Amino acid sequence: MDNAIKASNLTKYYGKFLAVDHVSFEVKSGEVFGFLGPNGAGKTTTIRMLTGVSIPTEGTASIMGYDIRRQSVSAKEQMGIVPDVSNVYKDLSAWDNLIFTGKLYDMPKAFRESRAEELLKMFGLYERRKERVKGFSRGMKRRICIAMALMNRSSIIFLDEPTSGLDVQSVLIIRDLIRKLNQQGLTIFITTHNIEEASQMCDRVAIINHGKIATIDTPEKLKSTVESLQSVEVAFESAPQNILKELGELPQVSEAVKQGDKFKLFTREPSSVLASIWNYTQSNNLKLLTINTVGPSLEDVFVNLTGIKLATEQEEPEKTENDKTQKITNMRGNQ
Amino acid sequence: MKAVHRSHVGRELRVAWAIAAKDMRTYYTQPPSIMFGILFPFTLFLAFTIGRNLPLAEQIPILISQTLFFASSSIGPVVIPLERADQTFDRFLTSPVSLLSILMGKTLGGIIYGTLISIIPVLVGIIVFGSQITNLAALIACFALSSLAFSALGILFASIPGQTVGQVMMPLNFVRIPLLFISGVFTPIGQLPVWMQAVSFLSPLTHTVGLASYASGGETFFGPVLNVIVLGAYAAVFVFVSIHFNIMNQRKQ
Repeated sequence: MDNAIKASNLTKYYGKFLAVDHVSFEVKSGEVFGFLGPNGAGKTTTIRMLTGVSIPTEGTASIMGYDIRRQSVSAKEQMGIVPDVSNVYKDLSAWDNLIFTGKLYDMPKAFRESRAEELLKMFGLYERRKERVKGFSRGMKRRICIAMALMNRSSIIFLDEPTSGLDVQSVLIIRDLIRKLNQQGLTIFITTHNIEEASQMCDRVAIINHGKIATIDTPEKLKSTVESLQSVEVAFESAPQNILKELGELPQVSEAVKQGDKFKLFTREPSSVLASIWNYTQSNNLKLLTINTVGPSLEDVFVNLTGIKLATEQEEPEKTENDKTQKITNMRGNQ
Repeated sequence: MKAVHRSHVGRELRVAWAIAAKDMRTYYTQPPSIMFGILFPFTLFLAFTIGRNLPLAEQIPILISQTLFFASSSIGPVVIPLERADQTFDRFLTSPVSLLSILMGKTLGGIIYGTLISIIPVLVGIIVFGSQITNLAALIACFALSSLAFSALGILFASIPGQTVGQVMMPLNFVRIPLLFISGVFTPIGQLPVWMQAVSFLSPLTHTVGLASYASGGETFFGPVLNVIVLGAYAAVFVFVSIHFNIMNQRKQ
């Protein structure tokens, strides 16, 4: 099976509101596929249609070749789901949560018990298997939720914001697990707000905005489409008051942004800007602490495609000089 | 390695039972289940009986009917909104099982709860008041069909999109309480005007009261056969409408 997931013209209306607008894409078997988008873009609605929770207004979806509506039982046998909220049974123990999931998949008793034991040991929760999940931390509940999705040894796993709001240890455990599952041949469909995470983990990403797919490609190819978003990061030992304005006015600099103790200068010509910064440093008797050229990140692509930055710019007049991030745009840089 | 899959019908039944067993374990002792399923019918019964100089032994079929009615129809409206709030209801929708089996499991939870609670007045009637069960088949039919119909009624109301018990229980009580007045609970159907008797025929509770009275050696106004047919028909309609409402919810979600 070449395509693990195929969505064709998936559309969802809530009353008159169009939440997902004729979305089509394919996810190859064994692929880690990232689904990115701002809040309200249609990510969760899409995942809910793909997993059978919600019925599409139009369009179809298939899982390992099975239509999610017409062959729903066969399609659902192929997948495990980790929703954005850890929907575990809080009044049941960790063990009973997994056993009940095994029963929903009609797994024979011996098989579900051995699988539950294996998963609880894998997630480091076997010693606490008899405790009610109610008393578990958020990260532990998340791990139980992922373990429940893996009970049936499914071919595809859907993860909706799997690391959102978790502590660093839980995030690292979950990321490592996703990599291992993918190495074992599982197809992973992941939605995340963490763009760097998607960049590191996904073979391909789709960016959805206002219910429409803005682009689908590998993270590196997407980054290469925004050459204009290359930048130079520079930090000085001490910076004069009007430095942001002056850096923004350097030749070939399209935009200057203050980020903490650093300044980020966007440009199409990083080498020219490096020379300009050196000259500026010399003429103002400044001391450079660090200077780096930075390629476009997936976040830059995301911002570029979704227009999130426009919203920030609209808010800018209200900002003060002391704001953490300040930005100067020099139109000459684009000329 | 894939899970070993077994026969389709057997699988659906096993999953339905697993859902019911989980509901029994998790929700039977929740305060709303006790409040609306046990305290409510017993309190109503006592409020109606105390001080009216009614022979308690003759009132036992009424108490059985009320407990069957309230207990069976309360589990779905308690369980489903709580599961919606926790998003655990979505687990059923994403598992490889039909919507019918999910609702069968939920209905079974109400049937067992209603039956267990309603056995109490039967035993109290026999042991304390010397009531007799003269027709065991009628009593079994009364329990089986009434608990099924009322549990399905609860599931139907639980299809109302809501994430709190109150959002479902309020409209359900809006229907349940008026039914008490037209179903031979407070006034025997034979004493009602003819047009009220026709309305009474439409209430499923009328037929539960009829069968419970008939099983205890009393009379049933519409006859036991009609009672059985009407309760069976209501059970089928409630299950069918519940499935339809749940599909509508999935379209709206």
